[in-house]
Amino acid sequence: MSDRILGAACLATAAGMAWAAQGYAAAISYEPVGPRAFPLLLAALLATGGLWLALKPTLRGATPYRGVPLRATALVAVSVGLYALLFEWLGFALATAAMAVPLGLVFGSSLRASIATGAGLGLALYFLFDKALDVVLPTGLLSFVLGGR
Amino acid sequence: MDILQHLAAGFGIALSPTNLAIAAIGALIGTVVGLLPGLGPINGVAILMPLAFAMKLPPETSLILLAAVYIGCEYGGRISSILLNVPGDAGAIMTAIDGYPMARRGLGGVALSISAWSSFVGSLIATVGIVLFAPLLASWALSFGPAEYFALMCFAFACIAGLMGDAPLKAGIAAVLGLALSCVGLDANSGVYRFTGGDVHLSDGIQFVVVVIGVFSISEVLLMLEQHHSSTGLITNTGRMLFNLKELAHTWWGTVRSSIVGFVVGVLPGAGATIASAMTYSMEKRLTDKEGTFGQGDIRGVAAPEAANNSAATGSFVPMLTLGVPGSGTTAVMVGALALYNITPGPALFTQQPALVWGLIASLFVANVILLVINIPMVGMFTKVLQVPNGVLVPGILAVSAVGVYAVHATTFDLLLMTLLGLVAWLLRKQGVPMAPLLLGFVLGDMMEQNLRRALSITNGEVSILIESPISKGLWIGTTAMLLVPPLLRSLSRRRAAPPVAA
Repeated sequence: MSDRILGAACLATAAGMAWAAQGYAAAISYEPVGPRAFPLLLAALLATGGLWLALKPTLRGATPYRGVPLRATALVAVSVGLYALLFEWLGFALATAAMAVPLGLVFGSSLRASIATGAGLGLALYFLFDKALDVVLPTGLLSFVLGGR
Repeated sequence: MDILQHLAAGFGIALSPTNLAIAAIGALIGTVVGLLPGLGPINGVAILMPLAFAMKLPPETSLILLAAVYIGCEYGGRISSILLNVPGDAGAIMTAIDGYPMARRGLGGVALSISAWSSFVGSLIATVGIVLFAPLLASWALSFGPAEYFALMCFAFACIAGLMGDAPLKAGIAAVLGLALSCVGLDANSGVYRFTGGDVHLSDGIQFVVVVIGVFSISEVLLMLEQHHSSTGLITNTGRMLFNLKELAHTWWGTVRSSIVGFVVGVLPGAGATIASAMTYSMEKRLTDKEGTFGQGDIRGVAAPEAANNSAATGSFVPMLTLGVPGSGTTAVMVGALALYNITPGPALFTQQPALVWGLIASLFVANVILLVINIPMVGMFTKVLQVPNGVLVPGILAVSAVGVYAVHATTFDLLLMTLLGLVAWLLRKQGVPMAPLLLGFVLGDMMEQNLRRALSITNGEVSILIESPISKGLWIGTTAMLLVPPLLRSLSRRRAAPPVAA
């Protein structure tokens, strides 16, 4: 069943692409092929592939999601999303420390170990990259200690 | 003669103190990344690429770093295969079949050292192959016009779809999705913004790093939630640390044969280390396994696939350097790395950037010597890495990935896009859609569209130019063959009694 959904998703994406690409026309054109042709070609290919998949699914009746630990996966997804969102505001060190706690727990560490990991990773990687390797990282809320912004 | 001069100049670059140190660091990182199950060369190279750029390393130095990591991964993958029965990366799957039984018999040290040696021989033969064939291929490819390039890229996609796994249709879909992602942003020819949704962050396209890290690292972390291998099966008693002359002679010809086959497979776009090691393992089994000991800890079954995966990885540099068309996911990342420096790989690279090309080739020799040296005596140190718990490892991977993404543009937007792409990629991978074609599509998208448009402007829109020249004709025939032959062969072999395939 799920391959049919993938096929349908491909079809929908292709339709969206084709619809968006409709209006792509150059004001003044110097060449026979404008900015619209390639996206439309891709949309056609994607639609063909999606249709094929929807009609002849290769994963018939298979349930690739049976083994997925739903809560853990959702927790990781949300943690990564929040990490991305708060990366600049909290600063690298704090954000990393906060992200490492739920991830450590999900991947089998104890609470204390996860907090220690987070603090260690946040500070060690900050000093390694920002101070030693010259890769500028945000300091966020800790900017009064670490400097920067 | 010319080649030797270039090579000498290349060694001058590779042996400079900075580059030598970088190659050693890359070799070390690569071995660690390779041996960790779940992290492969693509992840390692993808995470390091933006960091190298942010550290303002010159292009040849960062390419040397990435190449050393890539080759190092192929060395490192065998360690967990042999000691843990869990392949560290996809190219090392076959090594576990005979490596783990050897380790259980107390011959772990022998298996590790002979596989390090055959990895070395494999890489060495393939690097010599690069030196001999790459300049020839590059000078031939100089005559390629846009139509030939377009056909060549279609051929590359056909290879990757036909040779990769059991779902060519899904590989094709992945490639198209990658191509579509590459369309996002400003179209340089016409000034039209495509698929940006009016968002200013997307106006110069999606950052390559964001795609690679999202698609490979983030989705990998989500996939890791389902795998519960602990280090409990780790064999720590490795016995004798070095192979003896008898074992060396016993494996020698198999190693050489597998290296040559691996190189040829590696040069083909799409087929990489994984296919090469599987091919040579069954080849050696057929050729030399008279006593039926393959699968029970035969040393030849350890040496052959290791030689092949290293020579294939090294061989995959050939299409990337000479044609600008990467043959594997990892070399696709390297093309992206060069793009950060505004360098477009292709046949002209050999004449325009000889320092870069020959420095890289020479550093492949250097990195292999370093890898051989660190992989035989220091293997004990690497096995300690396998005992790092996932609760520390995964947050570490995520943090370093985020640093890499943030380093390029310093925006929260890129990090959020990385998360989103990671979630979509996870869904696709669960569905059996391979991600390497998507990456290849993303890297090649712009080049493919530009070449198509250029070809068609030559004839003012007449499509026949795409199949006019003999080179493009040959490439289109190859494309069709690649799409039709492997599925046919597969259904044929399925009809015959399905041979037992060791997983």
